[in-house]
Amino acid sequence: MTTRKSGDAFSIQRFLERWGVVVAFVLLFVASCWNQGFDFLNAENIRALLNSNAPVGILAVGMTLVIISAGIDLSVGSMVVLSAAVGLTAVNWLIGKEWSEASAVWVGVGTTLLVGLAAGSLNGALVVVGRIAPFIATLGGLAAYRSMALAIAEAGEIRSQSDALFRKFGREGIPLAWEVPGVGGVGVGGAGVEGAESTFRGLLNSGGKPLTLPYSIIVFFVVAIIAQWFLSRSRFGRHLIAVGANETAARYAGISVEWVRFRVYAVMGLLAGLAGFLQASRMNSVSTSGLGVAAELDAIAAVVIGGTSLRGGFGRVWGTVLGVLILGMITNMLTISGVSPYWQGAVKGAVIVLAVLVQRGARA
Amino acid sequence: MGRGLHEALHEALLEGLLEARSVTVEYPGVRALDRVSIVFRAGEIHAVVGENGAGKSTLMKVLSGSVRPTVGEVALAGRVTDFGQPSDALRAGIAMVHQELNLVPTLDVAENVTLGTEPRRMLGVAVDRAAQRKRAGELLALLGADLDLSREAQQLSVAEAQFVEIAKCLASEARVLIFDEPTAVLGEQEAARLLARMRALRDEGRAVIFISHHLEEVVAVADRVSVLRDGALVQEFVRADGALRDASGAAADENALAAAMVGRSLGSIYPEKGAARDGVAALRLRGFGAVGRSAEIDLEVRRGEIVGLAGLVGAGRTETAEAIVGLRASVGAVEVDGGVRAFAGVKDAMRAGVVYVSEDRKGRGLHVSLSSIANMTLPSLDRHARFGGARIDASGERAVARRWIDAFAIRCARPDAPISSLSGGNQQKFALARWLETQPRVLVIDEPTRGVDVGAKAEIYRIIADLAAKGLACVVISSELPELIGLAHRVLVMREGRLVGEVDREGLAAANCEERIVRMASGLGDMKERTA
Repeated sequence: MTTRKSGDAFSIQRFLERWGVVVAFVLLFVASCWNQGFDFLNAENIRALLNSNAPVGILAVGMTLVIISAGIDLSVGSMVVLSAAVGLTAVNWLIGKEWSEASAVWVGVGTTLLVGLAAGSLNGALVVVGRIAPFIATLGGLAAYRSMALAIAEAGEIRSQSDALFRKFGREGIPLAWEVPGVGGVGVGGAGVEGAESTFRGLLNSGGKPLTLPYSIIVFFVVAIIAQWFLSRSRFGRHLIAVGANETAARYAGISVEWVRFRVYAVMGLLAGLAGFLQASRMNSVSTSGLGVAAELDAIAAVVIGGTSLRGGFGRVWGTVLGVLILGMITNMLTISGVSPYWQGAVKGAVIVLAVLVQRGARA
Repeated sequence: MGRGLHEALHEALLEGLLEARSVTVEYPGVRALDRVSIVFRAGEIHAVVGENGAGKSTLMKVLSGSVRPTVGEVALAGRVTDFGQPSDALRAGIAMVHQELNLVPTLDVAENVTLGTEPRRMLGVAVDRAAQRKRAGELLALLGADLDLSREAQQLSVAEAQFVEIAKCLASEARVLIFDEPTAVLGEQEAARLLARMRALRDEGRAVIFISHHLEEVVAVADRVSVLRDGALVQEFVRADGALRDASGAAADENALAAAMVGRSLGSIYPEKGAARDGVAALRLRGFGAVGRSAEIDLEVRRGEIVGLAGLVGAGRTETAEAIVGLRASVGAVEVDGGVRAFAGVKDAMRAGVVYVSEDRKGRGLHVSLSSIANMTLPSLDRHARFGGARIDASGERAVARRWIDAFAIRCARPDAPISSLSGGNQQKFALARWLETQPRVLVIDEPTRGVDVGAKAEIYRIIADLAAKGLACVVISSELPELIGLAHRVLVMREGRLVGEVDREGLAAANCEERIVRMASGLGDMKERTA
């Protein structure tokens, strides 16, 4: 039995339940602009924000799907480090075997993704076949996958033996400006004319050089768009929501609950592999004791802030994307304001709790 | 409370204990109650009836303090009250026995009964276990329920839990007891026992308010009946000389109540029985059973035939149905259209043309948080899948939902809104339509009209009869015997997991058929040999 609230307060509450994350995002964005001057709106700055949060964003997108299925995956950070460690070890080993850099790197990429997929599938199998609660099964993964990665490198760092190619994916991107030949260069035979400076059209960095859109950001957004599509438009998404909302009713409707749940953990693993690859490529190395630590918490926090119900059955990927950016902006703002990193966790924690309070009861 | 209560009761006997005075409740866009004035007297069983959406639940929420009236007031023993929340009403002596049971599953019976009113000792720090058990025992004895006080609530049957729930209300010294559909989850025998106890509570001088869709129960026990329609009080009946009578003094039966509820005469709510077709059995069970719940069931359903399955709660009817479609482990053989099948799951059964509509609409039959469209197309979603399932054809889905909304006259303004916003009858129509969309050859439907109002009941019976007339083989499981007798071509009776009897078409037409079925279901012996 519910107590009805009076009309007005009721609708404001309903509005915040549904759109609170958008409101929070806009407020934070404005606050960031105010706080950092309009430098914040600088394309380079926004690029940095997106770029640094892309890997955890990819994890959060996968986590959204897992949580909608009324599950949880605590092992994502460990899957990141395990897949990256195995993948980079493969690259180095193949280069040692005198493979060409290109083939070694591509095999390494494939290995990274496959290890993630395998680890995720194992999680899924434990949940579905072993009938272990997702929290427990993936808690096991959290410990075990990290420990395997540590064993591979004896808790140290794995450095990439690939000189150029491997690091490209994490650091480079598509240029957002194009070269326009200088005015003096347009004349006949004027290619080598002195003083005819080239100019760029498009987005430039502070040094006047073309800004690039990093592959990481592209991958993050492509993953998010595909996931949102699958969630709201595909059969898998419908089944996922049905299983998360009421597993028994889903079974009675003829849905293979086991297959749905297995797949969502497998997909989560694959995305963890993808995030691991991007991280390893950016650093051109893998720190087995540092990479992906506590990533599961950031991912879950972003999902919760984004308005996905931890009880399952309702959620949205776009909300999670905003959640990732909200967390990123907060960190950014605190760092720039000179708040000690030790205190940043407290602020983040407060934001997460606030988000849950505002969105309590939000469910279609 | 002692003396105050006596005075109040005295006053109440004269004036009416609990009064709704011109209560109006408005929600945005809806007037759920329109100037309703009803007096509930101590020592009376007062039934409130009406179709779903007529305002019964809203009225009960007003009386029990969970909704404040927009206009009007509630008076208890002549004094105007203003309950902010249900606990205020409870303190004032108004207790609601909920449809959904609110017991703490891990506490035992005695602890549940005295929850919130535990006898204390040692300066109120410790619970007095002995006094607690004694008190719980007394209250349950008052209800005629003989329960082991140390059993955990989760081990109780639904009927037993219901008694614990009522005892809990009595423990809080409730003067007004509101029963919201108390018999919906009970079999005939348990229901009869509960009704007898309601009479006993009335005779002690309490006011008993009773909401039920089972009009025959209302006619049997109510001293006074208020009929709500579209939020307004439209008619009252009072018992005099052993029968309910309207204002003019004419005796009223179930049909008169139903007519008052819907505002028109319903005639019979059961359609004409068509002729069952001969020919091969669409579904045949041989030595079938749900592991641990039923066994040795031989059953045959022909095309166009409606077979009723009667039995007490716990007789294994639902479990057997679930085993047929692969939701439970089974033994024995299932034949569909002559071919032996064993279904691994619902989808497997569906492909072979056998579908099951669950009795538990909210928990199993539908996803209440999802839209009507999503619920409608969930079993047949493959048909709307494009590009290997990567895209669902949304307009195709909408068209299908629209088609069934029209076909079944479902009242559903927004098919994309959660299905929980629909009334029980309209939800049930979707629960049925979603399976008909898969074009089944055999329909097993469990409690087709549970929690459905009279008007929608008649429509659902009509739908089932039409489906059978078109050649669908139907198995109807129901705890409402009039429903089975009115709808089925023949009725099979289950008891403790076995088929124990059958009443054929002639038998169903006989006057004593209800009694025969009850005797078989409760193990009192078959009055006629089963026909093979």
